[in-house]
Amino acid sequence: MSLIEFDDVSFQYRTQPDDEYALESVSCRIEREEFVGITGPSHAGKSTFCRCIPSYIPNFFDGTLSGTVTVDGVDARETTIGEMATTAGLLFENPFDQLTGASTSVIEEVAFGLENLGLPADEILERCVENLERMNIRDLIDRNPQQLSGGQSQRLALAAILAMQPEVLVLDEPASQLDPHGTDEVFDVISGMDDEGYTVILVSQQLGRMARHLDRLFVLDNGRLVDQGDPREVLDHEAAGADRVLVPDTVTVGRRLRRQGYIDRDRPLPLRVDEAVEELRPHVAPAETDAQTNGLGGSDERAGSGNERSSMAESGGDELAAEKGNGEPGVEGGDDEPAVVFDGVRFAYNEEIEALRGISCSFDGGCVCLVGQNGAGKSTFAKHLNGLLKPTEGTVRIRGTDTRDYRVAQLARDVGLSFQNPDDQLFHDSVEEEIRYGPRNLDYDVDRIDDLVEVAVERMHLDEVREKNPYDLGHSQRKRVAVASVLAMDTPIVVLDEPTGGQDAPGTRMLGAAVNDLVADGKLVVVITHDMSFACEHATRVVALGEGQILLDGTPREVFSRPDTLAKTDVQPPAATRIGTRLGLSEPALSVEDLLAAVDRSTAEE
Amino acid sequence: MAHETDIDVNEIIERSSGRSGNVFEYQPGDSFVHRLNPVTKLVISVSLVFIAFLFPTYPGPAVLTVATFVVVVLAGVTKAVLRIVAVIGTPLAASLLIIHGLFYPGNETVLYTVGGVPVVEQVHYYREGFEFALLYLFRILTLMLALLVTIVTTHPKRLTIALMEKGMPSKFAYVFLAALQLIPQLQARAVSILDAQRARGLDTKATLRRRVRSLFALMIPLLIGTLIATETRALALESRGFSRVGERTFLLDVPDTALDRALRWLAVAAVVVVAVWRVVFG
Repeated sequence: MSLIEFDDVSFQYRTQPDDEYALESVSCRIEREEFVGITGPSHAGKSTFCRCIPSYIPNFFDGTLSGTVTVDGVDARETTIGEMATTAGLLFENPFDQLTGASTSVIEEVAFGLENLGLPADEILERCVENLERMNIRDLIDRNPQQLSGGQSQRLALAAILAMQPEVLVLDEPASQLDPHGTDEVFDVISGMDDEGYTVILVSQQLGRMARHLDRLFVLDNGRLVDQGDPREVLDHEAAGADRVLVPDTVTVGRRLRRQGYIDRDRPLPLRVDEAVEELRPHVAPAETDAQTNGLGGSDERAGSGNERSSMAESGGDELAAEKGNGEPGVEGGDDEPAVVFDGVRFAYNEEIEALRGISCSFDGGCVCLVGQNGAGKSTFAKHLNGLLKPTEGTVRIRGTDTRDYRVAQLARDVGLSFQNPDDQLFHDSVEEEIRYGPRNLDYDVDRIDDLVEVAVERMHLDEVREKNPYDLGHSQRKRVAVASVLAMDTPIVVLDEPTGGQDAPGTRMLGAAVNDLVADGKLVVVITHDMSFACEHATRVVALGEGQILLDGTPREVFSRPDTLAKTDVQPPAATRIGTRLGLSEPALSVEDLLAAVDRSTAEE
Repeated sequence: MAHETDIDVNEIIERSSGRSGNVFEYQPGDSFVHRLNPVTKLVISVSLVFIAFLFPTYPGPAVLTVATFVVVVLAGVTKAVLRIVAVIGTPLAASLLIIHGLFYPGNETVLYTVGGVPVVEQVHYYREGFEFALLYLFRILTLMLALLVTIVTTHPKRLTIALMEKGMPSKFAYVFLAALQLIPQLQARAVSILDAQRARGLDTKATLRRRVRSLFALMIPLLIGTLIATETRALALESRGFSRVGERTFLLDVPDTALDRALRWLAVAAVVVVAVWRVVFG
């Protein structure tokens, strides 16, 4: 008998319409100590699948369950959540909501469940320390849980679950709300858990990180389990078929090499960067890796990037930033001042913590992506754009006016800013009302407001839900509502904070298309992002911030070819770029296409 | 049991507190007041309040005020307590003394007369009203000082454990602790919500009507966000045996000594004695 068995399981939440199911006829078996990944688009039923295992369904969520779920021989209908806690634990997406909220120190948080079980105090302490050590947070034992970072908080929640000594661990998108550093922290601790005797079920969209650890990968779509098996095979099917998951670059490269006959079709697809490098190396001519060679693509950028490369080779450097400070690809020129000018901007919170330390730059058009670790100053920078924060020193000028002279509400005519967390931004009964709020505050006339709302709804694909209450939508859709409600303000400058966070493959593409449209309309779009593939694809300019200063400023190709400087602010270039760097390509690769072009050129030369 | 020796939960909890900036916050310390069982402190404070209200004239409550203040000083929390007493107590004292001194119905004996007042020419300030004001002022000061010293010398976690050991259900304890932690969380969220709304053109510095509108706009996401978090939290709590019935362990040891028991009995006895004295001698 398998540890977990789903036998023809369907589930419909009470709030769902009659013909809609969250899970539909799902059957599967998961064995002891298996590491199973689950992926699929938003609303595919991934969370519902997870909720069945610790018996949250049917014990907590209202709805109709058919079929049977058994875990370690126990039917979910015949147990309680409290009893199941020592068999299966579930880690939620939000790092903060799942803490008890009643602990003043980390150790109390871990001990909470064990105290409820009435275990002897010695054993409680022992289990607390053991699991804090396992999560690498032993040194935080006396901290207040509310003051932890997302990555720390998520590991604390996991320590508290592990302290209950479950056999099965269900992790429902544990890193989707974390920055890359937090994501690394969480993936580091969970990657080896199957070897420690746990059975792990991990839901994630980040296949590049997840796939290499998995024994099996499940794909859910529309409530159905549509594929399962070895992750390499499943990803092969996915890359061939529907647009529902973000296929890792390594897999795309591997598939193309096989299709074009460079590599034997029966060889397993590469999941790690080094595997992809190994496959590519024999097919990239030495000439491609020689800085003197004049390649075929991107010759218009040759002169500039050639210079950059020589300067970066010799420094770890901040000089590039200084040189590039005002270098603007695109619109700049003429007598007019650029749309955004930062001049020697410093900013300190509470006159203590200095978040910006001398920022000078100007933007005038295109899509500028701000990258850098949490605490690098990205959000502080963004809040200076619409006057929510005013510089402690230096000046910020937006379309020629000093932000100190205007209120936020006045600057809102020039700058629309959408924040990271949609739940802080939505407060109307319907999606349409929500989107209407911004333009109405700006006193546009009714016809214009109607048009703007229409365009925003269309761009964010919200037509089907326009009458719904935003809080009845999933996180990814709420996020798109928040973005739409800023787009509708029709400001010449649009600032988006982590727009692709928590979005699936279609959602990410939709946001990318919207950014491209805005740029084509002549607007300046500033995007704060941890999604380097997004930056590669859509940015005309990338600014890397670190410790309140500009580390790098240039085209994506220039910035992403400086992995050493980027590492200082915890930014890792996208997989395609890293593969290119490892191969030693003379022209930095931004996409899989760039890598394959190098292969094609090498073949042509032979 | 390898780790048993190097963890002192009492010390950890002592260190972890004291950062939210809340005025009613626990002040770490090691005075005899800090070491008392929280229930003892509660019983004594409530008894003091009863006694202060049983005394018919102001010297009794005045003595209690001074005595409680000495305890505050000995506990080493003078600054924290006085800060609150000053803010609430000063306007209260001023209004009590002025209103009763001038208008107390039993006023007969003039203490001062202030001349040259427009309209009424002169104003009398009476002894009876003054003494009545002092009676209430000292009663209220006793109440404030006694309860404040209890609050700021008692870690909320210790308080709930002490109460649970006396039979309070664990769910009440949870609600109490969670509510305390919720306040700084709500404050932080309110700031981000307001920022997001100003970014969409909400003018918070405009007319009163707009300001009222902005208050509503603030409350909705604040409440809904809290409710969304509640679902996750409810599941997380259930998964950690929150509803389990049966014996619980308390990692933190809150001692209840013979001294504690003696002090509690003494406090209750004092209330009884004063009450009897009041009934008999009126």
